[in-house]
Amino acid sequence: MDLAFTPEEQQFREDIRSWVTSNLPKEISYKVHNDLNLTRDDMQGWAKILGKKGWLGHAWPKEFGGPGWNAIQKHVFEEECARAGAPRVIPFGPVMVAPVIMAFGNEKQQKQHLPGIASGEVWWSQGYSEPGSGSDLASVKCKAEKVGDKYIVNGQKTWTTLGQYGEWIFCLVRTSNEGKPQTGISFLLVDMKSKGVTVRPIVLLDGDAEVNEVWFDNVEVPVENLIGEENKGWTYAKHLLSHERTNIADVNRAKRELERLKRIAKAEGVWNDARFRDEIAKLEVDVVALEMMVMRVLSAEKSGKNSLDVAGLLKIRGSEIQQRYSELMMLAAGPYALPLVREAMEAGWQGDHVGAAHCAPLASTYFNMRKTTIYGGSNEVQRNIVSQTVLG
Amino acid sequence: MNFDFTDDQEQLRDAVRKWVDKAYTFEHRRSVEKSGGFSKEIYAELAGLGLTGLYISEEDGGLGMGPVEGMVVMEELGRGIVLEPFAQTLIASGLLSGYAPSAIKADWLPKIAAGEALVVLAYQERAARYNLNVCTAKAIKTNAAGDKYALTAIKSIVPVGDMADAFLVPAMLDGKMAVFLVERAATGVTTRGYGTQNGGRAAELTLANAPAELVTLDGLTALEHAVDIGIAATCAEAVGAMDKTVAITAEYMNTRKQFGVVISSFQALRHRMADVKMQLELARSMSYYASLKLNAPVAERRAAMARAKYQLGNSMRFVGQQAVQLHGGIGVTDEYIISHYFKHLTQLEIAFGDTMHQLGEVANRMQDTAGVFA
Repeated sequence: MDLAFTPEEQQFREDIRSWVTSNLPKEISYKVHNDLNLTRDDMQGWAKILGKKGWLGHAWPKEFGGPGWNAIQKHVFEEECARAGAPRVIPFGPVMVAPVIMAFGNEKQQKQHLPGIASGEVWWSQGYSEPGSGSDLASVKCKAEKVGDKYIVNGQKTWTTLGQYGEWIFCLVRTSNEGKPQTGISFLLVDMKSKGVTVRPIVLLDGDAEVNEVWFDNVEVPVENLIGEENKGWTYAKHLLSHERTNIADVNRAKRELERLKRIAKAEGVWNDARFRDEIAKLEVDVVALEMMVMRVLSAEKSGKNSLDVAGLLKIRGSEIQQRYSELMMLAAGPYALPLVREAMEAGWQGDHVGAAHCAPLASTYFNMRKTTIYGGSNEVQRNIVSQTVLG
Repeated sequence: MNFDFTDDQEQLRDAVRKWVDKAYTFEHRRSVEKSGGFSKEIYAELAGLGLTGLYISEEDGGLGMGPVEGMVVMEELGRGIVLEPFAQTLIASGLLSGYAPSAIKADWLPKIAAGEALVVLAYQERAARYNLNVCTAKAIKTNAAGDKYALTAIKSIVPVGDMADAFLVPAMLDGKMAVFLVERAATGVTTRGYGTQNGGRAAELTLANAPAELVTLDGLTALEHAVDIGIAATCAEAVGAMDKTVAITAEYMNTRKQFGVVISSFQALRHRMADVKMQLELARSMSYYASLKLNAPVAERRAAMARAKYQLGNSMRFVGQQAVQLHGGIGVTDEYIISHYFKHLTQLEIAFGDTMHQLGEVANRMQDTAGVFA
């Protein structure tokens, strides 16, 4: 056992750090560090910079053009990106659908899609949830009927994150009503420019349209866009979820945001308030404990010696921590968190801030973060999964 | 960075686990409790396994092992809620090895390693609560050469105080804290033993001009280090105890039937168990953290121990309380084992500073940075 990184790992970190420092545009990291609105171009711009270097698919195996890093190297890379204030990589392409295409797609599909994902040119969306299928994902109804060399897709997907920018969408569609719900699902790639696809943004409680409804009205999809075999989509979807793992805990962002919370608490005069400071201290320990748990998983993954079945715990804890730091930031600002001045959440706004500039986005972010215990399998579903590991 | 145990460490774990399973059954533990809360024979068996020399160098008759091995042993002893205060042996070994003059080391370390001497830390004072720098015990020089000392002190809740062979005692010498070694058999030493809530044993220790040997003039530094060894050991012990608590509770839930089904089928209880598992794994993670930071520079080490013990304290209380709750009525009986785990965990939460105290320590030590390496 050794908590310290090896000299090689340390060198790797320094290499990554210096590369990120010189390649991450300052105006983007400024927005991230101050929680100001990111545009599509900010997000995709960074993705393309990573793509050019071959690091957008930083977890990809070498044979598909990835750098071939081990679990710890991947973590160090993510940590350095978060620390520097890089936007989160939009995961739907490089993190979610790409591993499925690699594992279950055919060569033609791999050639068609992986380069665009790796370069950050093509924006992917996820078509999983439906109005009637949230936690009970296997109940999806969006139907794909095979007619000749096409699937005709009808139905609705929802909560499609940033789907307004999406060019392609990977969907779980129903291709059979026989047997268990899980056995009638297929994994289909759909060009969002196809006739019959309608995207309607959903305005969330913070006023932003971060998610969308996506409607499919007799959308014609070539059969060659089916991944793997018909009715095996559930298996592929589960494979995709297994690629989430430590990613969803997002401990690297939590560290950065805890540091920001401390700065805000000092500026707002609550740092020396014992009650407030104790709450920050609790979060401080929560973040260290989460990081230790993440590192245990990485170490186990790297050595292959012991496997740790704690993905559910990481999701629960990581999301709770995200909510807590956003909550404490808002409470630190107190009454100055209440004004809703949308322009003040844009970089470069020259108007008069109410209180300090850092107060402007705090309440909106707090409201927005309520999603974290709901998405990716609600924390209650996660507790079901965790309890299975203890009770069978 | 890696969290794998070596083959040697795994073998050590196996050896201790086998011993606990065989020699420290619930019935056996009960008999220790009934006979006063400490068994010299059991302690001798730990020595027989070589464990008492764990932190003592090979030249002094020990194994020369480090914090990870200490953690492994404590986890396994915790699994069996062993009453013999092995953490005290780690503390005494660490304190003497790190701070004592060579004559004291030569006198005591081989005896500790062989299990012939049990040396415990006697630091608790009524007015101090958890503040290590509050000390009213007084030391004076008793000869012209200035190398003989006498101590006057009252120290509380000294682990197996009336059966230990010697005490490591912080006391004020010329206005500064120093640490001394006092033999129980010395003149002016009286002890009043009693049982503790977990079934173990402790004593009030009164020193009236008792002859003492100086261990170190750097008393506060040594005491803080000793307590940190204790914190890391306690964290590991608690992980073992919680691991077993969760296993016992899961087994019970899969057996106990109500409304015609096993109670593990109820979602309210399953979710509680998920929360228990969360606390256990956070605790295990922070116990690793504590042991891996035990040899870090002082400020970093102290901050790490506070963080670890804060997490462990929360986890212990939650896991212990919920284990009783999930058992229902049988959980509050003396007859059934789970209440004994609960009481042991309660005692460990308070040992070396409870959770509220540790939170204050964390809050006072916070830096601008965050995370494991901050």
